[in-house]
Amino acid sequence: MKKKLSLWMLLLAVVMVVSACSGGKGGNEASPSATSSSSPSASSPSASPSAQPVEVTLAGWGASPEEQELLQQVLDEFQAKNPDVKVKYEVIADRYMDVIKTRLIGGEAPDVFYLDAFEAPALIAENVLEPLDGYVTPDFDLGDFEEPMLNAFKGTDGQIYGFPKDYSTLALFYNKKLFAEAGIDNPPATWEELLEISKKLTKRNGNQVEVYGLGQAPELARQMFMILAYGGRVVDEEGYAAFATPEAEKGLALVVDQHLVDKTAAQPTDVGAGWGGEMFGQQKAAMVIEGNWAIPFLQNTFPDLDFATAEVPTVNGKKGTMAFTVAYVMNKASKNKEAAWKLLSYLTGKEGMKTWTSKGFALPTRKSVAAELGYDKDPLRGALVAGAPYATPWQAGPTLPIVMNNFNNLFVSAYMGDMPLSEALKQAQETANKEIRNAR
Amino acid sequence: MAKPRDRLKLREALAGYGFMTPAVLILGCFMLIPIGYSIFLAFHKVDLLGEVSYRFIGTANFERMADDPRLWIALRNTAKYALVVVPTQTLLALLLASILNMNLRFRYFFRAAFYLPTVTSSAVLVLIFMWIYNANGLLNKALDALGLPTYNWLGDPAVALTGIMIMNIWSTAPLFMVVFLAALQDIPDTLYEAADLDGANWWHKFWKITVPMLRPVTFYVVVMGVIGTFQLFDQSYIFSAGSGGPNNSTLTMVLLIYQYAFSVLDMGYASAIAFLLAVTIMIATLIQRYVFKEERLG
Repeated sequence: MKKKLSLWMLLLAVVMVVSACSGGKGGNEASPSATSSSSPSASSPSASPSAQPVEVTLAGWGASPEEQELLQQVLDEFQAKNPDVKVKYEVIADRYMDVIKTRLIGGEAPDVFYLDAFEAPALIAENVLEPLDGYVTPDFDLGDFEEPMLNAFKGTDGQIYGFPKDYSTLALFYNKKLFAEAGIDNPPATWEELLEISKKLTKRNGNQVEVYGLGQAPELARQMFMILAYGGRVVDEEGYAAFATPEAEKGLALVVDQHLVDKTAAQPTDVGAGWGGEMFGQQKAAMVIEGNWAIPFLQNTFPDLDFATAEVPTVNGKKGTMAFTVAYVMNKASKNKEAAWKLLSYLTGKEGMKTWTSKGFALPTRKSVAAELGYDKDPLRGALVAGAPYATPWQAGPTLPIVMNNFNNLFVSAYMGDMPLSEALKQAQETANKEIRNAR
Repeated sequence: MAKPRDRLKLREALAGYGFMTPAVLILGCFMLIPIGYSIFLAFHKVDLLGEVSYRFIGTANFERMADDPRLWIALRNTAKYALVVVPTQTLLALLLASILNMNLRFRYFFRAAFYLPTVTSSAVLVLIFMWIYNANGLLNKALDALGLPTYNWLGDPAVALTGIMIMNIWSTAPLFMVVFLAALQDIPDTLYEAADLDGANWWHKFWKITVPMLRPVTFYVVVMGVIGTFQLFDQSYIFSAGSGGPNNSTLTMVLLIYQYAFSVLDMGYASAIAFLLAVTIMIATLIQRYVFKEERLG
């Protein structure tokens, strides 16, 4: 009896081992066959119109509920026109690029997904995105896109790897009530004026500052145009950090000195706010330099706030601002490229983009849509549109993520006054270049 | 005569291994293979995105460490963190356990209440503490009311790590408190009675009886504390939104490994750092074992 029992147990264990090993394999085999089984039926000409639709996955990062709803509306419109394609929309809540890269490695990446211009060169260089030139038809009207936004998604080979879905520049947001109280009629046109009126706008109560003149964001994405203002640069031709120069320092010193010397500017965490828009909405800063995203936020969260926008004041007599753009790109390993292109071209086409940008959450990258929606004449968005021609796109080659990380880390030290600015820039540049050299 | 016995032995051995199979399989799949694979990765330059490639580069990943300032910052932060957190939380745990071991009213309520922070998810704790640490938050209001200086806890590199330390001591000490409490209740009352007869006061009893009797448990608590603090990740990840900022002040070893592995996708170098971390923890544990043994002999 005992012997038999032990034999049975052994058999059971063996069965467990076998099933455990085969379980993983079986699952892997099953999934591609399940997805591919639908595509032949859809692409074969003999298939009836009621054949199973092709599923295309679309992924992006999360946004406000209103924006999410609007995107769903665009997708519903697309589905109504293309019953043969079924869109599966996924939201990646956190660490978007980490998740996308990991899923690309695992072969589980979505067919179509968002890509920020800032990350584009690195991902294009890895050869995981589908070049889209071959898909473009005259109908799609390539010339309609704003040139700088489209160029942000061109590879070094000249191919286009993504079509920008929208963009925003930065503009100066100012609080009309606080301006009136300080007796200021017009927003500043030059940086000198901005520094001057910041002093008037800053309200102190003893040692405590209640309202700062300007809310600042001490990070590279927001300050890159200050580096360029006096002829500095962020990276050199080989992708190495090159911002530790007197020229770059001169522009950045304007930011740091206003915080440390004038004490008329601060970063959001200094007043307990999460970001510039919140700081401005809570009236802890009379001015901030923010993008289009701040407009719906301020209108929803702070409906009583009386604010206006103006172009970013000139630095060194030159106009400058940043431009942020995001594209839809296609996964090179996608199994349903035709259907993916249908979706991608609809989302970035005239019709889809018009619906997507109709509520003002983002600005259209197509000239025809922009003209139709008339954002250049919008009282709040006019200043943002005006910045587009001279804006610096937030992009600087494939090494920018490393450069940014090191810049931000040390720039904060200079900003807090723990380290002289020149020293911080030098150290940040050295650290970044070491990391770049080691990674090659 | 000998044959049936051999067969019996074989069968017994087979049955034994059969029973062990599930455990061996699970440990092998989720521990031994990953450990072996990460050692393999540590000697390779790995490219996963696009065309997958493994290139053997010998010890280049380890040589690179010497020239990586961020690694040394992370190591320094982690060591600083461990040096402050481990002694503090151990002492606090011992103190709390001693108090709760007394014949107090409502002690069961206090035991449960003190233990609550430990059962709360660390992600939730961090989010709660980020509100407390907000420039207009509870902590600054309290400091201000006491006439003490206030800080930008989230944005100032000088205090950001301290913020995480305070939070972690508060949330981990109760876990070890329970361990100490169990050990305290194991100390025979006869020892204290004998000490009473000898005329020992409270302090003598604590120092000469309680502390020595707790030595094995203290060793366990300190070792677990060191391992836990060296593996600090989630708190500083949420605190700094994954960057380790401001100014690398909350960058820890595991956060750095995460950044290299999943943001930069340099699995080889990340594995090499993970290897370094494992060796560091092992050395720290050996040192502690040595120290505790010495004391026992002395």
